[in-house]
Amino acid sequence: MNEVDDQLRELLPRMRRFAVSLTRDHSSADDLVQSSLEKALSAWNGKRPEGDLRAWLFSILYRQFLDAHRRSRRYNRMLELFTGGKEDHFEPSVERTIVAQTTLQAFDRLNTEQRALLLWVSVEGLSYNEVAAILDVPVGTVMSRLSRARQALRQLSEGEITTPALRILK
Amino acid sequence: MITLPPSERDLNAYVDGQLNDADRSTLETYLAAHPELSRQVQAWQRDAQSLRAALSGELHRAPNPELDPAFIRQRMRRNRTRRFATAAVLLIAVSVGGLSGWHAREITFASANPPMADAVQAYRMFAVNANMASDWSSDKANNVQVWLDKNFAQANRLPDLESAGFKPVSGRLTTTEQGAAAMVVYKDSEGRTLSFFIRPPGEANHLLPRGSRRDGELQADYWSGSGYNYAVVGPADDPAAQAARLALKQPI
Repeated sequence: MNEVDDQLRELLPRMRRFAVSLTRDHSSADDLVQSSLEKALSAWNGKRPEGDLRAWLFSILYRQFLDAHRRSRRYNRMLELFTGGKEDHFEPSVERTIVAQTTLQAFDRLNTEQRALLLWVSVEGLSYNEVAAILDVPVGTVMSRLSRARQALRQLSEGEITTPALRILK
Repeated sequence: MITLPPSERDLNAYVDGQLNDADRSTLETYLAAHPELSRQVQAWQRDAQSLRAALSGELHRAPNPELDPAFIRQRMRRNRTRRFATAAVLLIAVSVGGLSGWHAREITFASANPPMADAVQAYRMFAVNANMASDWSSDKANNVQVWLDKNFAQANRLPDLESAGFKPVSGRLTTTEQGAAAMVVYKDSEGRTLSFFIRPPGEANHLLPRGSRRDGELQADYWSGSGYNYAVVGPADDPAAQAARLALKQPI
C-alpha cells in the first residue's frame, strides 16, 4: 500500500502538469488529478496493466478529462439553447500569461489531443507505442497526428511572432 | 530501416529520438546535405525544447496536500462510509415509515371496526325482541346444535351456559358481507337474555384473540376457532350474565 502511494506521490507533479496542459487552469487541473487518482486507486487491484505507470496514469487522466469535457460541452450547448449565448472561447489565465512564452502560448491554442500528444512525446518522452496504447489507435496514426500537431505548433508560434503578445495582454 | 528521402514520420521520429542508431546517422548525413529540411527539423527541435523549458516550471508547484494518495484514500473511505450511512438511514426511514403506516392502518381499522360489532348490533335488534321471527326455537324437534351444524361446518360447540341458568331458546340466521352468520338467544328463568353469535372472519375482522369489550350497556366476549369468530353478548353489569361469562371461560 505504502509502496504504491510512494510511486504515485513521485508522479504527482507530472500528473498535475499534464492536467494543467489539458485544463489550462490550475484549480480545475487539481480537481482532475484528484478524480484521476481516485479512479487509479480503485482500479489498482484489478486493472493496473504491465508497463509504465506514468503512461497508465496519463491515460486515466486523459480519459477523465475528455469525459468531463464532453459533459461540460453538452451543458454549454444546453445553456446556448436557453440563453442564445456563445460557447466561451479559451482565454489564458493571468498567471499563465505571466509565465507564458511564445511556444507556450501557441501550445495552449492547440486542440486537446495535440496538446496531449506533444506533452507525452516531446516533454515526457513516452514512446510512440505507449501513446498508441493510451489513445487506443495504431502507431502509424499516432505518428501522423503528432506530425500535424508539431506543424500546427510551429505555425502558431510563427504567427505569435508576427503579431506580438498584444492580443494576450488585452 | 528508413528510406531516403525521409518521410515526415521519419523526421518526427528523429526529433523525438525514436530512431535506432543506424537510422539516426543515415538521417543526419542526409540533413547535413539538405539545409532547408535541416532548418525545419531544427525548428521542431527548438519547439520541443522550449516547450520542455516552458512546462518545467509546472513540476515545481507547491504540493497540494489534498492530492496526496494517502489523503485521497482516506477521503474515498470516508465517502464510502457516508454512502453506507446514508443508505442505512434511508432504509431505516423507509422501514419506520412503512411499519408505522401499517400500524396506523391497523389502528384505523380496529377503531372503525371494533371486534364483533355485528354481534352486539344483532343482540340489540333481535335478542331483546320477543316477537322476532326465528329460524330455530326450543319447541323444534331437533337440537340447536344440530340446527347450527347444518349451517356452519365444524364450528365450535355452542357454549353450555346451563350452570349459570341460561338455556338456548331461539336461533336466527343472518348474513354478513363474508357469508352466513347466526345468533342463538339464551334466556334464564328470569327472562335475562344472552346471545351467542357466530360469523365467518371478515376481511378486517380477522381471527380474534380471546377478549372482551364493552359497548354501552352491553359486553361482548369474543374468540375465534375452527375458522369462525364467536361472541357472547349480554348486559354488562348483570350478575347472572357475569356468572354465564365465567362458565364461558371453561374450555368449551
